Amino acid sequence: MSAPTVSLLLMLPALLLLASVFLYPLLRYGWLSLQASSVLTGLVPVPNGGANWGRLLDDARFWTDAGQTLRFALCSVSLELLGGLALALLLHRPLRGRGPLRALTLLPWALPTTVMALGWRWILNDPHGPINAAIRSLGGSSYGFLSTPATTWFFVVLADVWKTMPFVALLLLAGLQTIPVDLEEALRLEGASRLQILRRLTLPLLVPYLTLALLFRLAQALGVFDLIQVLTGGGPAGSTESLALYAYLNAMRFLDFGYASTVMLATFLLLLVSLGGGWLLLRRHGQGHATERAA
Amino acid sequence: MRLLVLLWSLGPLLWQLRTSLLRPEALVAPLREGNPWTLANYQLVLCGDPPFWQYLTNSTLVGLATTLLTLLLAVPCAYGLQKLRGPMRWGVGLALAAAAMFPTVLLFLALLEIARSFGLANNLLALSLPYAALSLPLAVLLLRAAFADLPGELEDAARLEGLGLGQRLRFVLLPLLGPALASTAILVFLASWNEYAIALTWISRSDLLTLPIAIARIGGGSVFTIPYGAFAAATVLGSLPLLLLVLVAQRSIVSGLTRGAVKG
Repeated sequence: MSAPTVSLLLMLPALLLLASVFLYPLLRYGWLSLQASSVLTGLVPVPNGGANWGRLLDDARFWTDAGQTLRFALCSVSLELLGGLALALLLHRPLRGRGPLRALTLLPWALPTTVMALGWRWILNDPHGPINAAIRSLGGSSYGFLSTPATTWFFVVLADVWKTMPFVALLLLAGLQTIPVDLEEALRLEGASRLQILRRLTLPLLVPYLTLALLFRLAQALGVFDLIQVLTGGGPAGSTESLALYAYLNAMRFLDFGYASTVMLATFLLLLVSLGGGWLLLRRHGQGHATERAA
Repeated sequence: MRLLVLLWSLGPLLWQLRTSLLRPEALVAPLREGNPWTLANYQLVLCGDPPFWQYLTNSTLVGLATTLLTLLLAVPCAYGLQKLRGPMRWGVGLALAAAAMFPTVLLFLALLEIARSFGLANNLLALSLPYAALSLPLAVLLLRAAFADLPGELEDAARLEGLGLGQRLRFVLLPLLGPALASTAILVFLASWNEYAIALTWISRSDLLTLPIAIARIGGGSVFTIPYGAFAAATVLGSLPLLLLVLVAQRSIVSGLTRGAVKG
């Protein structure tokens, strides 16, 4: 047997499992999205000539959720990148007890999302949670963190940032460790300030890591599900419902598999577009940096 | 600075700890008399039906099965990918990276159909099949980077000694991959321990629930009726194994993700 054949044979079992878990669902959704398959049809798929896609275009709830999902993703990912960068810079410095510090800051990321989503529900509870208790003891009145449609989404972002920032920090820490110490030393001897070193050396060299973190987090945030399902259930008044939660509800509560498949596929397409956009933006920015340094 | 960071990371967890140790009346208003501290919440959770340790056992079982299956599939795949040349190598690498980013929840409906048609629902071991698939992309990328770090002469020498492919992997290459295997295993275990959407739809029998689902079910009622004390106790019990794992394996986790980020 030739070497490439052996390679392919070794990869075959893994690739088969991957294809049936990642590829098959997408094909299946593509097919189901062209069928009526709900309680009305006795859950038997009947072709309905693209009616699901027509319904999607007119579905105000879908587009509202799309906007909300995008807002959630953009806000939480940018906060995570900023906070993660600061945290990575801190954890990179030679501090006493750095190992345990790294482990303890990583802990929120290691815990199940649902566990801490319920934890946040208690912390933000109105009126008994600790934050509201503190506000009252300062003379204010309780605030419905999770019951005010205009602002609840922000506290969902906060809970997500709390959990995922350490992960971003870790990725960026990996990047920081690849930067040679003598480069930084040389810049310092030339009299560059810490901010200048950050701008001229550290950030440009971190661009690949920032890109990786951005794309990965954006994809995950656009598919946000468990945090929202447990923290707010999509409420109040649907103001925090995400696309993934809407797809889930269509399948498991409204038992409309055809439309649920359509929503999931549409979410996936939206995700591809956003990721492509983010990537192009970063690449142009990165090239700008490169030319700046060359000049 | 350090203190601020610790407060941000651990504050919410410490508050859960405090909540779990308070009597329900003391949660709502400071008690005028009597001792507000109690272990009753833990008693409630541990003696529930099914008892809480059942969920820990379930999650551990799924986690171990998933880790084992993932490594069994990922090691040969990573080795094959590392040996492969040309556009196939590039294509498979890209597909793996894309799969690693894919939000799991979008897969649940089709996977649920598969589970129903093959009778895989309510089976903890079967759950490790999709879980292994979800973890495979990252595991293969990490292990391929580790294979790439090994000196090529080593395997050539072993080949000249007449060792077959299986022997080379088993006796020469894998022993050198120890740290990479360990950090990959930990990341896979964590991912499986925390997975939600698939476990939510595949498992309905209450004695088979994994930890995240069991805990979310506690909060299934309305916002006002959640037994926060008991729930906080469950959180603390569920977090302890992870706290230990992260403290013990911090270096391994960091180096694993680092390697993945550098090479991926």
